[in-house]
Amino acid sequence: MIGTIFKKELRDTLRDRRTVMMMIVIPTLIFPIIMNIFVGVSSSFQEEAAAKKVSIGLCSQHTSRLEKELLSLPASLGKKEIIPITDTNAMIAALRTDSLQIGLYIPENADDYLARKEAIPVKIFFDATEVGMQERAEVYLNYISEKLKKERFIELKIDEKTLVPMELNYTNVASDKEMIGKFAGGVLPYIFIAFGFLGCMYPAIDLFTGEKERGTIETLLTTPVPRWKILVGKMGVVVLSGLTASTFSLLGLFFSIEVMDLVKDKELLAVIHGILTPGFIALMYCLLFPLTVFFAGIMIPIAVRAKSFKEAQSIISPLNIVIVLPAMIGFFPGVELNYITALIPVVNIVLATKELIAGTLEWHLIAIAFGTMCLLATLMVMVSHRKFGSEQNVVN
Amino acid sequence: MIHVENLSKTFSLNARQRKEMGTTATSVTAVDNLSFDCKPGRVSALLGPNGAGKTTTLRMLSTIFTPTSGKIEIDGIDAIKNPEEARRRIGFLTGSAGLYARLTPNELITYFGKLYGIEDAVIQSRKEKLFGLLDMHDFQNKRIGKLSTGMKQKVSICRTMIHDPQVVIFDEPTSGLDVITAENIIQLINDCKNQGKTVIFSSHIMSEVDLLCDDISIIYNGKLLFNDTMEAFRSQMQAPNLTAEFIRIVNASKTTAQ
Repeated sequence: MIGTIFKKELRDTLRDRRTVMMMIVIPTLIFPIIMNIFVGVSSSFQEEAAAKKVSIGLCSQHTSRLEKELLSLPASLGKKEIIPITDTNAMIAALRTDSLQIGLYIPENADDYLARKEAIPVKIFFDATEVGMQERAEVYLNYISEKLKKERFIELKIDEKTLVPMELNYTNVASDKEMIGKFAGGVLPYIFIAFGFLGCMYPAIDLFTGEKERGTIETLLTTPVPRWKILVGKMGVVVLSGLTASTFSLLGLFFSIEVMDLVKDKELLAVIHGILTPGFIALMYCLLFPLTVFFAGIMIPIAVRAKSFKEAQSIISPLNIVIVLPAMIGFFPGVELNYITALIPVVNIVLATKELIAGTLEWHLIAIAFGTMCLLATLMVMVSHRKFGSEQNVVN
Repeated sequence: MIHVENLSKTFSLNARQRKEMGTTATSVTAVDNLSFDCKPGRVSALLGPNGAGKTTTLRMLSTIFTPTSGKIEIDGIDAIKNPEEARRRIGFLTGSAGLYARLTPNELITYFGKLYGIEDAVIQSRKEKLFGLLDMHDFQNKRIGKLSTGMKQKVSICRTMIHDPQVVIFDEPTSGLDVITAENIIQLINDCKNQGKTVIFSSHIMSEVDLLCDDISIIYNGKLLFNDTMEAFRSQMQAPNLTAEFIRIVNASKTTAQ
């Protein structure tokens, strides 16, 4: 009987355009769209920043060595234009209106500093909202500074190497897979959880509040099917919808990588291939299943109690933020799965997935996280059963 | 056969409900010590104004609600102790009930047939018979959401009768329907009566009751004010017509209560 209810509810759900959009269309498109925008925007920003001709305002006496060096900077360091400015106030005003991108103030006695072999106090003005301008100023000034430093070494007859007491060689023992897992591994479970929640939302409201609102629940309850079987059949569809939404977001990711070739870096691509193995996907679904049941178990009592679709939606939608916010903890590199975090719902699944991606999983912690979610999912199923069994909740 | 004895239903009110109803009471009695019988081959009416307790009574008969106290027997089955078995014998049709708009009549009737545990071959033959009787073949595979009110009413009738129930409960079945569409329901009630089924239907329209019923129970504020045959009702009338008599009985009860 559960199977009959499940099949009917699934058919009904798949004919609902709103649910199909939330369950299949949006999760499938989200990764290709986000990655396309990210890749397109970041590459165009880089190209634009590199090609941009930078106007450098120069406030000085026009005679110093430093100024001459600035004027003779090689073109390979980027296009530039030196504009003389009379005072720093005018320079700041020009920076604010974007007629200048960098402003330099060189003191009148700059050459005296050079003669005394002292550091020239150069003031650099820039607008931090203009991406890459501080870096461009550093490139120009470091080039000049290195040139002048080398001259001083020659003048002072010092071998530059004698001033370097240590040669530091760092070796990163973490694999690329671990690096991605620890630093970016939170993104994947976050998206899975967000879509798992959204995938559950519309079917939960439609199959419980919707039935009540449309007046179909009353006839269903007059059939000789026990209420718990009706609940399990309907809940099965809600959970399946959540898992389907997560699956389609994974397919979207796969499509972006394999078909649209949005990841250009071959090394990164190899690492991603190494992560997305059938074993990893199977383990991830094991973790996601109790979490999705937990989501369904939270939504169903609300949907059962609500009198209208609007009321249910107005309560469940904000809940999305409460549920998905803890998932963002996974974004922070320092937060790891331990005996405490393994007991926190949602957070534990995000962190466990991160460990899975990084390949640094500790089975006992994963077992605690999985067990916690199973326990909470069971508890929420029991709450759903109680609410669905209450006669005042099921009919308006 | 329906046997109802000392049936009562009290709902406890939460803070939200108390606010909505503008009361400080923690509970409300919707049905108060009701007793009546509905016999096979006869149509019994449950007549009362809005909020009298008709729907609550019928929901208890159909086992959606559990009574606070009292006894209900459906076709010899104790509906409180054995609700699932009682439900197998009940066909329930309400005017306010909706249908699954995204399913077709064919899919919906098959679904309900399966929920009643009927074998596929039997569902198929009963469906054929009902579709033929109600002239539903032309729209059996169209989505219910796209059907007219009359067509939907036929689907509801078909759903109610697919398991060939011995007891049929109608809760204000013609509510919101025009005369032509309501005719399908009236025909169904008469057919059920002729087939020897037990029929109970609630209404607040006296003319409808007069047209269809053999027995009548009038309720107001959850209490039974009159319970007898239509002939007895007519013979005891003090007002010039049936509607006026119904109003007189209800008003007399209000006066007594005050």
